[in-house]
Amino acid sequence: MSSTVYATLEIGTSRTVLAIGESEAGEEMKLVSFASIPSTGVRKSQIIDINQATQSVRSVIGEIERKSKAEGGSIDIANAFLVINGSHVNATPLQSATAISGRNVTQEDVDRVTENARQIAGATGDLASLDIAEQDYAVDNMAGILNPLGMSGRALKLNVLHLTADKNRIQDAKTAADGAHLELRDPLFACTCAAEAVLDAHEKKNGVLVLDLGGGSTGYAVYDNEVLVDAGSIGVGGDHVTNDIVHAFSLPQSLSEVIKRRHAQATIADDEEAGRIVLSPSSSGGEERSISRRSLSIVVNARMKELIAIIREHLEEKELLARLHCGVVLCGGGAQLRELDTLIQEELGIPAKIGIPKRISGLPKDESPALYATAAGALLAARAAYPEEHSFFDTLKGIFK
Amino acid sequence: MNGTKSILLAGIGTAGSTIAREIRDAFDGNLRTIMCDTDAATAQMCEPFVLLGGNRLAGRGAGGDIVAGRMAAEESISAIDSHLDGVRIAVIVTTLGGGTGGGATLETVKHLARKGIPSIVFATVPFTFEGDDRQRHARSVMRMIEDAANASFFIPLNDLAAETDNMKEAFDIARARLETGITFFWRLLEKPGYLRLDAERLRNILSRAGHGRFAAVETSGENRAREALDRLLSSPAVSGGTGTVRAILCGILAGDDLRLSEVGIVAGGLRKAFSEPMRFDLATVNDEESFGGRIAAVAMLFESTPEESSGNKPKSVLSGSGQKNDRFVKSEATIWHGENMDEPTYLRKGISLGF
Repeated sequence: MSSTVYATLEIGTSRTVLAIGESEAGEEMKLVSFASIPSTGVRKSQIIDINQATQSVRSVIGEIERKSKAEGGSIDIANAFLVINGSHVNATPLQSATAISGRNVTQEDVDRVTENARQIAGATGDLASLDIAEQDYAVDNMAGILNPLGMSGRALKLNVLHLTADKNRIQDAKTAADGAHLELRDPLFACTCAAEAVLDAHEKKNGVLVLDLGGGSTGYAVYDNEVLVDAGSIGVGGDHVTNDIVHAFSLPQSLSEVIKRRHAQATIADDEEAGRIVLSPSSSGGEERSISRRSLSIVVNARMKELIAIIREHLEEKELLARLHCGVVLCGGGAQLRELDTLIQEELGIPAKIGIPKRISGLPKDESPALYATAAGALLAARAAYPEEHSFFDTLKGIFK
Repeated sequence: MNGTKSILLAGIGTAGSTIAREIRDAFDGNLRTIMCDTDAATAQMCEPFVLLGGNRLAGRGAGGDIVAGRMAAEESISAIDSHLDGVRIAVIVTTLGGGTGGGATLETVKHLARKGIPSIVFATVPFTFEGDDRQRHARSVMRMIEDAANASFFIPLNDLAAETDNMKEAFDIARARLETGITFFWRLLEKPGYLRLDAERLRNILSRAGHGRFAAVETSGENRAREALDRLLSSPAVSGGTGTVRAILCGILAGDDLRLSEVGIVAGGLRKAFSEPMRFDLATVNDEESFGGRIAAVAMLFESTPEESSGNKPKSVLSGSGQKNDRFVKSEATIWHGENMDEPTYLRKGISLGF
């Protein structure tokens, strides 16, 4: 039996990530190779310098090739699915309809109303379609039907959630990848990809919020009753936390990033014994300096509380907060922030946990599995969209061992 | 443009306010000024005065805390706003090393940028003998002010008054030279010589200037032009620096006896001292009352760092719609409930960090 190979590329604000997965029919997806390098030319999840982004893509491909060579093999990648994030990603509810004229609903009616929904979603001008998530059906005035087959009525309606992104942002990524001789296939939304990897059926059924805390933006996806009911992205991410530290303590960006990763926490350190973080002379411009842990926690807490407030407002507007019986699942680099689960519990009143990718093997053991959620989910999403379509050699020009 | 009244002189902090007041007094009050400080006591000697952070600090000063200075300016930004009608250029004078000079200056300059008003900052860096803490405080905000302002001069007081060891004399000399440099702009507009710069051209030059170095000298006697040139060239501001000089604004202030050959000596010598291709602007001030028998030469050198010269570092730009932030300068602002999420949350919310 031949394998199907999928590759995914994310040109993120902090990291450019290339993942290759291999799947046999009925078997679990296996991560074959993975490379993640610091990005350049990207701000707030949007490419601001094509040449620099191209260089990042070249570097990440080079890293995959280097790893493969070190293992005595060779990989030459032809194409990859594009994983995107950013505040240009939006979800819009749409409704399509078809006449059934008093008879029972058949599979043909369902297919037709689904196709109508796709056609409506296709007429989106400057927007690229990322996903059309079916919500529920309505037969005449009876709404909230999950399976309309056999029901009778005059009209069948389908409610969908149309996930879109700015076509220009996708084209920028394609241009950047093209410069590195990599063809980009369908765009996938990073947060729903991560959700695909970390959620189980129980969570999707009983209501869950997935937060993908990236460097330049924070993606969110809400599932309830087994379907995606809301999704989007907020233009605030880990970079904002770093930037706040830069401003508060007059430190360089790189040192602030290190301090954030090593010492930041989402809740305010509640006593004077929190102490100070001593910065070495070499890292702080030739002088020995120290900063207060409590002050650092105040800076980070202010930013994270604000981000959660934005999310809370959004959930309340759509009356979704009370439906999240399975709480919040955190993915992305920002999920590593200490005490973030506690802060979310305090601010949203529901539990939070870090998402661990499931249904994929071969994840590196040296880092937190949560960091691989988006890449793993993107491979699963690519397989779900094209189960057997890509042969081994469509995705790879060559893989030799 | 309405001549000198379109240039605002803003003194920030106690020392900055004092210098601004002295400059205004030297111009018989015919100079548009505001003085801003977190210390209410400054109000007694300065008018018009804006008390920064009155609610937060109760007029007691920023206590050397730069963040407190920044938040104080944020709190009082609407009071500063009321002095900005018709302002086309803002010249800010301050002293670094304390909380108000560093913190409030930064926020004020950022606010001016949002309003599209070019700002030129003259900030003194403390004498070495003032201690490590003040030096460190000064250094911590210099880069941020440099990025936010259109033109900035950080003037080590050590360099301005290197010839004396007496503390009072050192402060007096430094202050006098600083005032010569700052008042140059007003003198240019008020008493232009034969080579003149009008206000719009001055604004145009300064809007794109960037970080600069500044020297001012005064000489008299037969060889005053040659001596002025020599002293300019040997001053730390002109002979020092690590970046490439890409523009020079040279001013010669003198009485009716200024000779063409003297202009040639100073301007020609200064231009010749730098081999790189650069923009050179020259202007003279004819002020017999202030400079009769003497000449004062002012040199403002604007430089680019090696990084900028090679095109690697994007120059910070003023955004037409207002917001500018180092990290997010090229990306679309994230706005929520009218607030720019790209600005630090603790600053927008006025949260004290309790240093």
